[in-house]
Amino acid sequence: MDYVIQQVLNALAFGAEYALIALGLALVYSIMNLMNFAHGEIIASAGYAMYLAVALGIGSPWLVAPMAIGAGALAAVLFERVAFRPVRHAPSTTGLLTALGVSIVVQNLFTLFVSPRPRSVPAFNELSRTIFIGPYAVSLLQILELAVVAAAIGGLVMFLKRSTLGLAIRAATREFSTVRLMGIRANRVIAAAFALSGLLAGIAAIFIVARRGSVDPDFGFQPVIKAFVACVIGGFGSLSGAVVGGLLLGFLDVAIVSLLPQEYGGLTDAIAYALIAALLVVRPEGLLARRVELGDKEI
Amino acid sequence: MSQSAESTAPPIGLKHRAGMRPVVRSLIGALITALPVVAIGFLIFAFAPAYLVRVAFAAYVNLLIVLGLQLFMGNSMVANLGQGAFVGIGAYSVAILATPVAMKKLSIPHAPFGLGQIAIDPLLAAIAGLGISGIFAVLTGLVIARLSGEAATILTFSLMMIVHSVFIHWTDLFKGAQAFFGIPQVVGLPSAIAAAVLGIVVARLFKDSRAGLQLRASAESLLAARAFGVDVWRLRLIAWILGGIMCGAAGILYAYFMGTINVRAFHFELVMTTLAMLILGGLRTVSGAVFGSALLSIVLEAIRSFESGAAIGGITLPPLLGLSGIAMGAVIVLGMTFRPRGIFVRLELDELLRRWLLPPAWRRGRGRT
Repeated sequence: MDYVIQQVLNALAFGAEYALIALGLALVYSIMNLMNFAHGEIIASAGYAMYLAVALGIGSPWLVAPMAIGAGALAAVLFERVAFRPVRHAPSTTGLLTALGVSIVVQNLFTLFVSPRPRSVPAFNELSRTIFIGPYAVSLLQILELAVVAAAIGGLVMFLKRSTLGLAIRAATREFSTVRLMGIRANRVIAAAFALSGLLAGIAAIFIVARRGSVDPDFGFQPVIKAFVACVIGGFGSLSGAVVGGLLLGFLDVAIVSLLPQEYGGLTDAIAYALIAALLVVRPEGLLARRVELGDKEI
Repeated sequence: MSQSAESTAPPIGLKHRAGMRPVVRSLIGALITALPVVAIGFLIFAFAPAYLVRVAFAAYVNLLIVLGLQLFMGNSMVANLGQGAFVGIGAYSVAILATPVAMKKLSIPHAPFGLGQIAIDPLLAAIAGLGISGIFAVLTGLVIARLSGEAATILTFSLMMIVHSVFIHWTDLFKGAQAFFGIPQVVGLPSAIAAAVLGIVVARLFKDSRAGLQLRASAESLLAARAFGVDVWRLRLIAWILGGIMCGAAGILYAYFMGTINVRAFHFELVMTTLAMLILGGLRTVSGAVFGSALLSIVLEAIRSFESGAAIGGITLPPLLGLSGIAMGAVIVLGMTFRPRGIFVRLELDELLRRWLLPPAWRRGRGRT
């Protein structure tokens, strides 16, 4: 029983992390059809901001965490301004390659100016202790992660539903040209979407750092690949789909690892991707994608 | 669809060649595109040091992969991230079939199906490798051809991840994460050049063929093409198989040249580099595939020498790790900023040359200026 609860918590924690990153990808994608491969570098920028903070002697997690989130948002807005704005109206493969280019540049900047090796960020070491809820031993980090992710998603939903800018973002996912006809600035909507995706990436970076204790130039790569897959499972561009896809992927990962016999451990990825491929064959549009009508979304 | 006029109309402006069949024109076009590829290749082969020959070989193998990628992706406009699987399958096929038995006793002593006791002629092994890539392409293509957009992209990516994990996990056959050594080194740079030229010809002939035209039409509008009776799934399957076999051939050449292969060579880095080459050059044209891979290969190699600490005018620069990556990324970002659709957007090299070289009066009536 203890084992099952531990595994479910594990799955939820991984799933929450994937969901957070996938949400950022889906936000940007739903507005400008950009598969943002550079999202991993936004996460890495937040990670290196924490490294910098610790290196400068700021050790308190209460100061380091906001810096990470701010750095994520800043990096996202910066990437948009410098690289993605010029290719906004180009075909989607162009955006994809631009994102890839940005990702390569930033990754190598970290290699060149910091180090190709992992650098330790000890700011959140205290979080990885075990606490007891009733008779069950659980990791404080996982509980915290679930709470923060739930709060972040709640905040995002509130923002999208209640504020004017949020309304504009939601409208832009349906029909951008009409949003512009209403007198909303395109640049502002897109920058806001990038900033939000950067905020979420910054939060994700905090938990990745807390779990690993270090950053390296490849920092954001694996999580973003998983998040991409989560987006596609859920239905690309759908926000609720990103969350559902992320959670599902978390459960899938943990289930395969804990159910697979030891000697087949190397096949974890193969089985996960085979299941994902099978799902896509049955439902190519993903689990929760909005049905696209003919004539929808033609910018 | 806009290109239909071009492939069917007789080549106006070349009166002495009036009546030249479209196939011949495509073939000549392909050879014009291939000309610099051959010239540079043989110059390097004849005059450059061995180190550069090695670099050039890798570039030609990459070119073949990019051409295979162009054949499927450029015509169907379905993004493919799975080419690494085919390159790996080609390379491991010949590694397992052609490596001498004595060598296999050392490297894969527990090989299943009695593969440890046989070693066939490299040429036969290469044919078998092409066949295996082809069969794999048929099996996967039956599913992939039916999907479009992101789903298809992630499916091709899943394919590569699955193949990669099988390579790593099945140590008895593939040696897992360790290098597979002892493959007979039977090819040189000329074979790679020949393969690249063949690849250019096949890709161009397919693009200009009826099937290629219909597939390109389906990329513009899937619905319209199907309404006209185009069998999109079958055409995508054909392009996928041809592209897969080309990537398999690239893997075979790579294994036969290097003699040692490692599973890491057929993963992300390969996929991303070749994809960047294709999109940078312009993924709709074969010339784009050729020049994109040439450009990126040259940039990468030029910067790589800096990275390890080059000496300029007696001053030795310190090694700057990460510089080549920054340069490559910058080339990609700037390339996309200034030419969002790549270097060769729609017209092939020979079509552009014809436009520039022939006097305007001869071109009148084409209606495509």
